[in-house]
Amino acid sequence: MGMKYRRYLAGERIYGCSKCKTHLATIHSMVSRAFNGQHGRAYLFDGVVNVVEGEPNDRQMTTGNHTVRDIYCVKCATVLGWKYDRAYEASQQYKEGKFILERNLLVDVQ
Amino acid sequence: MRIPESDNNLSTSYDFAPEAGPSYVTLDKAGHSNGLSKENGHTIPVSNGTTSNGSPSMGNGIAKHNSSIARVSLPGTTLYDDAYVDREEFVRLVIQSLKDVGYIESAATLEAESGYSLEAPEVTQFRQHILHGAWAHAEPLLIQLGVTDEDALMDARFLIGKQKYLELLEAQKTTAALQVLRNDLAPYSTTSEQDELHALSSLMMCSDPEDLRRRSCWDGASGTSRRQLLADLQHYIPASIMIPQRRFSTLLAQSRLYQRNRCLYHNSPANPISFSLFSDHMCEKDAFPRITTTILEVHTDEVWNVAWSHDGTHLASASKDKTAIIWRIGPDAEPSSRDCIAEFILRDHPYCVGCLAWSLDDSILSTSADHLILLWNTKTGALIKTLETHAETVSALVWLPDGSGFMSASLDRKIVLWDMDGELRESWNDISIRVTDAAVTPDMTRLVAVGMGYIPPPTSGSLSRGHVRESSPPPVASNGNGNTIAPRSSENRMIVYDLKTRQVELSVHMEGELTSVKISDDSRFALINHAPDEIHLWDLEEFQLARKFTGQRQGHHVIRSCFGGIDGNFVISGSEDRNVYVWHRDTGALLEVLEGHGQGSVNSVAWNPCNRRMFASCSDDSTIRVWEAPPISAGELFRGLSIPESEPEIVGKGKGKVKQPWAHNYETL
Repeated sequence: MGMKYRRYLAGERIYGCSKCKTHLATIHSMVSRAFNGQHGRAYLFDGVVNVVEGEPNDRQMTTGNHTVRDIYCVKCATVLGWKYDRAYEASQQYKEGKFILERNLLVDVQ
Repeated sequence: MRIPESDNNLSTSYDFAPEAGPSYVTLDKAGHSNGLSKENGHTIPVSNGTTSNGSPSMGNGIAKHNSSIARVSLPGTTLYDDAYVDREEFVRLVIQSLKDVGYIESAATLEAESGYSLEAPEVTQFRQHILHGAWAHAEPLLIQLGVTDEDALMDARFLIGKQKYLELLEAQKTTAALQVLRNDLAPYSTTSEQDELHALSSLMMCSDPEDLRRRSCWDGASGTSRRQLLADLQHYIPASIMIPQRRFSTLLAQSRLYQRNRCLYHNSPANPISFSLFSDHMCEKDAFPRITTTILEVHTDEVWNVAWSHDGTHLASASKDKTAIIWRIGPDAEPSSRDCIAEFILRDHPYCVGCLAWSLDDSILSTSADHLILLWNTKTGALIKTLETHAETVSALVWLPDGSGFMSASLDRKIVLWDMDGELRESWNDISIRVTDAAVTPDMTRLVAVGMGYIPPPTSGSLSRGHVRESSPPPVASNGNGNTIAPRSSENRMIVYDLKTRQVELSVHMEGELTSVKISDDSRFALINHAPDEIHLWDLEEFQLARKFTGQRQGHHVIRSCFGGIDGNFVISGSEDRNVYVWHRDTGALLEVLEGHGQGSVNSVAWNPCNRRMFASCSDDSTIRVWEAPPISAGELFRGLSIPESEPEIVGKGKGKVKQPWAHNYETL
């Protein structure tokens, strides 16, 4: 609701959308590099900006069943990864509320 | 009642009295007693015989009057028993006014009847000498007129000498002028006047009188310069001896200004109709545009911005639905029958539309869609050009007041100047903020930009790649949508640039997001929307915050405000609580909270530049509302009826034209 400008991040390393350069996350909020997405290597982040979240659905992943939402770039609508709403396995619950961005869809921006 | 001798009197007076100048016809009276009435009290009229010490040459006609008009003797010295107004001062001002407009006979009668005269004969003579360029006669009178202070006398003589010098030069009597410079000016000039003396002597080089007048900013002996000299000399002569020109009118103008400043709903032009002397001026609250007369519904998503054409006949709107619309707002007839149609729907925007700006002649509309700028022909609705220079969202489009083109500003930290055809003229790169809005002062001296401070990436890598977690910022907050908000990365700033030199004149850090800048018509004030919930009025001459306007809601969205009404008397703003807020600019008083828009934010407002009683607002509810004063009849009706407060409903749909009956009572604070 209402008009908003996209958020702009600051820091040593800023990841942006490879298609439209929209700022998405900084290396400061990166939790792990050890994830895999549909396009290969993916990163887990505490927080990302300038994304739109899709509808939740359950997906069976290598680490068990999760409720996730696809996340889209707010400017170009590219699917960039997903957000974990819920992890069914107790050992995986640290991911809840966190975001996956696919490395191949990211680019360093200023 | 006509006095027999009056014709004679009139004819002599007209020789001298130009239309506006105080007449020299005067009753005779010792000059200096004029200003010293208070001690003498009401005995003055009695003791101050009008025939005894008059100057015979001028008193002739009037002396006859005196024989036929009885002097009225009044007690006390004040106009009324309980007032501070000194009667003599008052009467003399009346006499001055009468003479100014040409009621010479009435003035003479009043002088005779009251025993007060406008001024001493020396004053009259002095004025005539100045106006006739009889400098040698004027100068010796200065002392008699109470210019006794040595410095004042020197200054006054310098002023007279300067006029004399310029007039001689104008008459091309260079030798005589040189003598004046040596004998009259140089001896009287103080050190501070040395520069002026130099400038004056350089005027000797002027090729002809026209050149002289232009270079000295002086309009010649036959222009207003002698009158101006008189006004300048006034500073050295006590006002009680030589009353300042048009003094009564000055007082009335002050009174008008006072009344105007107290008029919260002021929105009427300064004319005799709205400012009668017979009653205090006060604009009717009912004349304020607080009623929705039209709702424009064609957009299919949130409307983010609105802008009026300069001729006030068209309104442009920008929407999240990736279109802009040019609306024709029918002529200012009966609002209830006004035709408002969507003339062109500008569809070819790849992204949501954020900014709108009309060219000075209204032939081109520029719009912004994210990082793109689009130029549209407003007569055909055709896309002229798309400009792709900016890398990030374009946040401001401004056509320059000198007609040279337009300016764009962006979150990519660039401000770009374009010519009329959309060719890039100049680009200011790497400015210190990501610009969220910008405006140029109408006098073209300044550019005011607001935005988010840019923090360049650190050069030394303090971050160890292996310890990502340790260097992560404090926990991020959630905004309730499940969206996490990253830590704020920037400070916000207002920057005032000198437009020509690009030098930063002022840079102010501000807490909270800045989303809108507007400049007042006089180039003096900048109006800035400021989250949370404030609008700041900055004085660009004093470089300080002049006023804050509060009441509206602004958290995370781009909310815009503007000046409105005659002289920009109002400030209006959108708000995230779906209302339109209106304040009195000079006091900050909240005047109106206008309800009507549906769910969401009122994103922007725009006052009609031609019809000062109309503005438009746009909202997340996909509509634009046009606000006007209720017609008189409906206004009358309103007072008589009690209308239950109700949520104003939107009547009709989809045709882009909806008439709003006068049926809603908008709540006012």
